[in-house]
Amino acid sequence: MQKPSDELLIAYLDGELDTETSNEVAAAIAGDPALAREAQMLAETSAALRVAFDDVLHEPVPERLLAAARGELGQDKVVRFPDPHKRAAGRAAVGWRRWTALPIAASVASLIIGGGIGYLGAMQSPVGPNVQPQEQIAAASSNWLDNVAGYHKMLVNAGSNDAALVDIPADPQSNGGHKLALPQDFNLPNLKPWGLAYQGGRVLFVEGRPATQLFYTTDNKALGPVTVVVANTSLADKAPTPEQRGDVNMLWWRHHGHEYAVVGTTNLNYLWNIHNDLAWQLDGI
Amino acid sequence: MPQGNKANQDPLSSRQAGSSDPAASGFRPVSARFSDQLVAVLPRLRRFARGLTGSVFEADDLVQAACERALTREHQFQEGTRFDSWMFRIVQTIWIDQIRARDVRKEEPEAEAERIGSDEPMRRIEARLALGEVRLALKELPPEQRTALLLVTVDGLSYKEAAAVAEVPVGTIMSRLARARVALQAKVGGGRGSKNDAEAKR
Repeated sequence: MQKPSDELLIAYLDGELDTETSNEVAAAIAGDPALAREAQMLAETSAALRVAFDDVLHEPVPERLLAAARGELGQDKVVRFPDPHKRAAGRAAVGWRRWTALPIAASVASLIIGGGIGYLGAMQSPVGPNVQPQEQIAAASSNWLDNVAGYHKMLVNAGSNDAALVDIPADPQSNGGHKLALPQDFNLPNLKPWGLAYQGGRVLFVEGRPATQLFYTTDNKALGPVTVVVANTSLADKAPTPEQRGDVNMLWWRHHGHEYAVVGTTNLNYLWNIHNDLAWQLDGI
Repeated sequence: MPQGNKANQDPLSSRQAGSSDPAASGFRPVSARFSDQLVAVLPRLRRFARGLTGSVFEADDLVQAACERALTREHQFQEGTRFDSWMFRIVQTIWIDQIRARDVRKEEPEAEAERIGSDEPMRRIEARLALGEVRLALKELPPEQRTALLLVTVDGLSYKEAAAVAEVPVGTIMSRLARARVALQAKVGGGRGSKNDAEAKR
């Protein structure tokens, strides 16, 4: 047999050849030290590749994957949104909500575009009961935001045609009753004044906490899609804070047991205005 | 033609996920057998996804998306066929879709070489074959070759099974594997070098 091709040599090493051909390749290797050396190196590289990924098998599987595999990302995991009946009472309590007047204007016209960032810079984190060290809270928040940004990119990368990624379809009748629905008393934020159309939602686990991600798209490619994430939290309220992860901008805040993030690749001015409108509609302000 | 999953038709093998009243909540029950199979194959799916994406986080996102898709298409799984291969195919399909979407938007691939491995000490099976190098070299291969290598060399699927997952003929798997293995050897072991390295891109 002449020197076997790479395909034949590798198929031989993989045990994929019939007996006759395998014997021929083995004979060729036995009679050609260079070929034998090459076969040896190929085998070693394959072994190295297996070992390189072997550790993954022994890692603990993340809780969110186990939950996903068991179909437990169910209705009971949908974040309970603020009760609209408690809005009136809730609005009286927190001092840093003086700027609630702004979203009304924002939802009518972009009067505060350009002013939002300056305002953000002037905001201070609220003072409140806090039993966790600040370092832990900061680390947890950073991880939470890492995940929120990652989930944004995941949904955007999947594209609008990948309906399988959407747990909560925009049209509840479109899924044959196989998916979830938002709570009946939940007023889905209407972001049409910002050119954003609701496309559906996802049920997530972010840092071990259930969260709901709402997905909005726009024809304006300069603005791009926007996701809104709402999660439960036991941490103290926090004023809106800008963050960035790669090309993803975020504005996040905490209010009355809920953590919110508005996420997109558009600029922070735009996100700020959306956040104002959202916060008003969700009573997350 | 795919057949329905018999486990779905057995009320004793079904369990509710989420609401206690699936009809009211609109939530779909997941058969215990199906989800058990899914849980069992998770480590291998994570390894496959880790090799495809080169990122811990992207890999787990990919596996989660695959689980969610599988649950919505449980009825499409044909009893008597290999569940792991079916899941590998779902992971691969979602990953390819994501790559295409990324290409369309002309995003730069993330520079995340440092995220590929963990901080744990690298073991070596040979002085010049550092595992980190192997992972990096794998990530430099074209997606199709990466898939073939992970399915056959890492996960031990036969050529026929890998061909079924990748939905290509066995001969295509064979040639992809050959190009990938030679290229990988050239990158990490100083093998036949640039000629084959260039060929591997084709």
